[in-house]
Amino acid sequence: MIEVTGLTKFYGDKIGIKDVSFSISKGETVGLLGPNGAGKTTIMKMLAGHMLPTSGSISIDGIDVVDDPKKALRNIGFMPEIPPLYTEMDVVSYLNFIADIKGIKPKVRTSHIAEIMELTAITDVKGRLIKNLSKGYRQRVGLAHALVGFPSVLILDEPTVGLDPKQITEVRKLIENLSRDHTVILSSHILSEIKMICKRVIIISSGRIVLEEEVANLEEGGKNFIIRVRGKLDVASAILKNIPGLEIQSSEEQSNDSQNYCRFMLVGESGVAIREEVFNALAKAKLPIVEMRTIGNSLEDIFLDITKQS
Amino acid sequence: MFIVFKKEVSTFFSTPFGFIFMGIFLLLSGIMFFTYNLLGGGGDMNGLFGLLSNISFMVFPILTIKLFADERKAGTEPLLLTSRLSPLQIVLGKYLAAVFVFVASLAATIVYVIILKIYGFPDLKAIAASYIGFLLLGMAFTAVSTFTSSLADNYVTAAIASFGGLVGFVLIGVFSRSVQTPVISDILSALAITRQYDSFIKGVFSLGPIFYFIGFIVIFITLSVFSLERRRFN
Repeated sequence: MIEVTGLTKFYGDKIGIKDVSFSISKGETVGLLGPNGAGKTTIMKMLAGHMLPTSGSISIDGIDVVDDPKKALRNIGFMPEIPPLYTEMDVVSYLNFIADIKGIKPKVRTSHIAEIMELTAITDVKGRLIKNLSKGYRQRVGLAHALVGFPSVLILDEPTVGLDPKQITEVRKLIENLSRDHTVILSSHILSEIKMICKRVIIISSGRIVLEEEVANLEEGGKNFIIRVRGKLDVASAILKNIPGLEIQSSEEQSNDSQNYCRFMLVGESGVAIREEVFNALAKAKLPIVEMRTIGNSLEDIFLDITKQS
Repeated sequence: MFIVFKKEVSTFFSTPFGFIFMGIFLLLSGIMFFTYNLLGGGGDMNGLFGLLSNISFMVFPILTIKLFADERKAGTEPLLLTSRLSPLQIVLGKYLAAVFVFVASLAATIVYVIILKIYGFPDLKAIAASYIGFLLLGMAFTAVSTFTSSLADNYVTAAIASFGGLVGFVLIGVFSRSVQTPVISDILSALAITRQYDSFIKGVFSLGPIFYFIGFIVIFITLSVFSLERRRFN
C-alpha cells in the first residue's frame, strides 16, 4: 500500500535521512522507533506530503506523492507531534473547518464530526475554545482532525508525548482501537508503546534504517536469558561453554538433597536460534531445562545496542 | 476559498487585530474630517483622502501580519497546503478577509458624507470617485502587505517587511513628483501607486488608474502565491 524507495532528505549539508526504503501493507500497524533526531518525523512528514524529499519516492496505492499529492494523500490522516490547532476556535468549529478543507460534503459533515468526537472522547468539550483545553484534550482533538474523512492510513508522530500517565493510557487505547480498522504508522521513542500497539517495528538511527522486524520475533528472545537445568553445574557449564556466541554471565548451584539443579544467566544474540542451540545441546546430554526466561526488554536491548553502534 | 475567508474574518474579530485596525483607521480619518471639514469648513473630502492616502499605509500591515505568521506558528500551514485548497485559494481567502475589514472601516466613514450632505452641498460624484480610488489604493496596500507577510515566519518580521514595503511605495510617490531625470522619473511614476490615486481625488473617474490598481493587485497576489508554493519545497 505504501512503498518508500531510496528516500533521502538533506537539510542544507546535513543528512536528515538517507536511502530509507520500506513498504507497509494495508491494515498493518508499524512503529518507527529511534532516538531524538533520528529522522522519524522527517519520514512521517514526507509520507504525509508536508515536506518534499531531496530524492527517492513515496507511493501510496501506486500514486506518487510528489507527482500527484492531492490524489495520493487523500487517504492519509497525519497527526504531527504538535497537532495543528487553531486555538482561537472551539472544537466543533475547528473540526468543521477541517472537514470543509478536506472536502467532506456539508450534508454529512455534522454526523461525521459527531462520530469522530465520540471516537476520540471529546464530545463533552466540543464547545470549548481549543486554547482552553488541557494537553491531553488537545492531543485528542489533534487525533480527531487526523481522522476526519476516515482516511485508511493514520500517521501519528509521537502521539503520547507530554501527556500524563492517565492520558497516555487513554490515547494508547484509542490508537489500539483505531488500528483494527486503519493502517497505522506510529513513531515513538517509548519502547513499551511500540511493543503494545505495533506488529512491526522499523528502528531508525542517524537517518538510516538499522533494523526492520516483527515485534513478535524480537519478543521471542532478548540477549539475556536465564535457564534452570536439572543436572550438575560443572557438566552443564561445560556443554554451554561449547556453544559459539554464548556467554555464561553467572552460574549457581541450586541442588538440594534429592536433585541437582543449576541456574545460569546467559548472554547470547537476540532471537530464537541461540535458545534452540542451548536446548538441543542440553537435551543431547539429557539435562532437562526446567525453566527458560528472557530478562530485560529485548526490544530495548536491540534499540540501545544498535543506536549505540550507529 | 470562502472557508478560509470566513475563518480569517472571524479571527480578525476574535483577536484584537480587526479592532485595532478599525480603531486606528477611524481615528485618523476622524481627525482629518475634524480638521478639514468641521474646523476648516471644507465641503468636500479631498483634504481628508489626500492626507489619508499618504498616512494610512502605516495601518495596513496590521491587517496582514498575522495572515501567515499565525499559520506558521501553529503548524497549520501544511494542513492548508495539503488540503483540497490551492495556494491561490488560500491567498485569496486571506487577502479578501483583510480587504473586508478595510472595506468595513471605510464604510463607517460614510457618516462623514452624511454630515456633509446635511450641512453643505458636497459633490457626491466626486466623493464617490474618491471613495472608489481610496478603496483601490487600500486594496493595493493590502496586496503589498500580504506579499511581504507571506515571506515572514513571525509578526515582527511581517510587520517590518510590510511597513518597509509600503513606506517604499509612498516615498516613490513623493520622489516621483520632484525627480525630473528622464528614465528615472518614468520608472518612479510607474511605481507610484499613490500618484495614481491623484485623479480620483480630483473627482475624475478614469479607467487607466483603475486598471493600474487591478494589475498591481494581481501582481502582488501572484507573488504571494509563489511565495506560498515555494514553502512546500521547504
